[in-house]
Amino acid sequence: MNTSAHSLTAAPGARPERRRSLAVCGLIGVAVMAALDEIVFHQILGWHHFYDRSTPGVGLMSDGLLHTAELLGLVAGFFLYADLRRRRALAPAHAWAGFFLGLGLFQLFDGVVDHKLLRLHQIRYGVDVTPYDWAWNIAALILLLIGAALAVRASRHTEAGSAS
Amino acid sequence: MTPGHVHPGAVAGLGPAEVAVAVAALFAATVYMVGSRRLRRRGDLWPRWRDASFSVGGAGVVWAATGPLPGGPYTAHMVQHLIVGMAAPLLLVLARPLTLALRTLAPGPARRGLLALSRSRPVRWLVFPPSAALLDIGGLWLLYRTPLFATIRHEPWPHALVHAHVLAAGLLFSFAVCQLDPVRRRWGVGVRGVTLLAVGAAHGVLAKTLYAVPPPGTAFSPADLRTGAQVMYYGGDLVEAALAAVVSASWYQATGRTQQRLRRRPDASLRRRGAMAAASRAE
Repeated sequence: MNTSAHSLTAAPGARPERRRSLAVCGLIGVAVMAALDEIVFHQILGWHHFYDRSTPGVGLMSDGLLHTAELLGLVAGFFLYADLRRRRALAPAHAWAGFFLGLGLFQLFDGVVDHKLLRLHQIRYGVDVTPYDWAWNIAALILLLIGAALAVRASRHTEAGSAS
Repeated sequence: MTPGHVHPGAVAGLGPAEVAVAVAALFAATVYMVGSRRLRRRGDLWPRWRDASFSVGGAGVVWAATGPLPGGPYTAHMVQHLIVGMAAPLLLVLARPLTLALRTLAPGPARRGLLALSRSRPVRWLVFPPSAALLDIGGLWLLYRTPLFATIRHEPWPHALVHAHVLAAGLLFSFAVCQLDPVRRRWGVGVRGVTLLAVGAAHGVLAKTLYAVPPPGTAFSPADLRTGAQVMYYGGDLVEAALAAVVSASWYQATGRTQQRLRRRPDASLRRRGAMAAASRAE
């Protein structure tokens, strides 16, 4: 464990690892969004179900793999993040950018690949699903845009910082 | 018919297999306690939570074999399986029984034998994470997707044998993935992580198919079947997350030690940083 009393930013020898911060928090973002989807839409709202009878075998398998990957991603992401903090290598601006990109990427993947291409399940049943699909994917795009804007700002900030 | 299968709520007399399991688990826990006490007496550091982990794991096995379990017959069976095959093995493995045995046994044939066994070639292959995983999850698919489950349900001894396999395979898998005890060949976090991912997916998919289609040759009520499948799915998730946390935590500790070593040897650390800076410039 790191026992030194330096603050996260002012520590000597601390060098922010920007790409790694972005990637690790991106992983956490993907896993968090997958977990949110699972908890809010599957369990609390019950809009789609534990098992949809229409689901084909391949879909079932990819669903299981995705679910497990989400779980492992959450745990592994947390430890990777803790490691960045411990080494004082976290670049907060890049980390936030990665987090939002991760959230948006998963949401868009779920909305396009799972719901539309593989047709694993739909967002809701027994209603016209179009507005839900639009809301879902537009939300994903907004999250992605926020992430992209944060990433651009973070990298500009970095360039400005290293130029001065 | 064994009480292990009817699960009437109240114990209607235990079969010989259940008694054997309970006695064996109690015996193992007692031996563990005696060993850890001896270790502490002589001044070794052996955290108390390991004793607790082993006792709770042992108690779980006893309860699963003899106790009243919740739900209908299928749900109760799944709860039993979850404890015997996943939760108890993890708790037992976390207590590092092999390390304890190697430390408490006096030098002699018993200790030498155990050491030789833990380093032997067959054991080396058994604790290779993918093969341990195949024995574990492969056995489960065989049990629920062939008529095996229907055949053994009402036969006390085959049934006990299957549960013994579930426990042994669960122990082996947890042992191989957590890798807390010393063995000859140690596997990296990548191999163990991918194995965990594959097993978790196979377990989740099996649970979901059981929700829709019962094991061949059985006729459980749909409600019972669904509850049982959900117990398997979400219970599996919990243990899966716990296993991932163990693997990640050991990675975190190991990298922490490496970093401290590098800090103590500044020349090596500088060289590494120089290489990293060069690498990041090249990106």
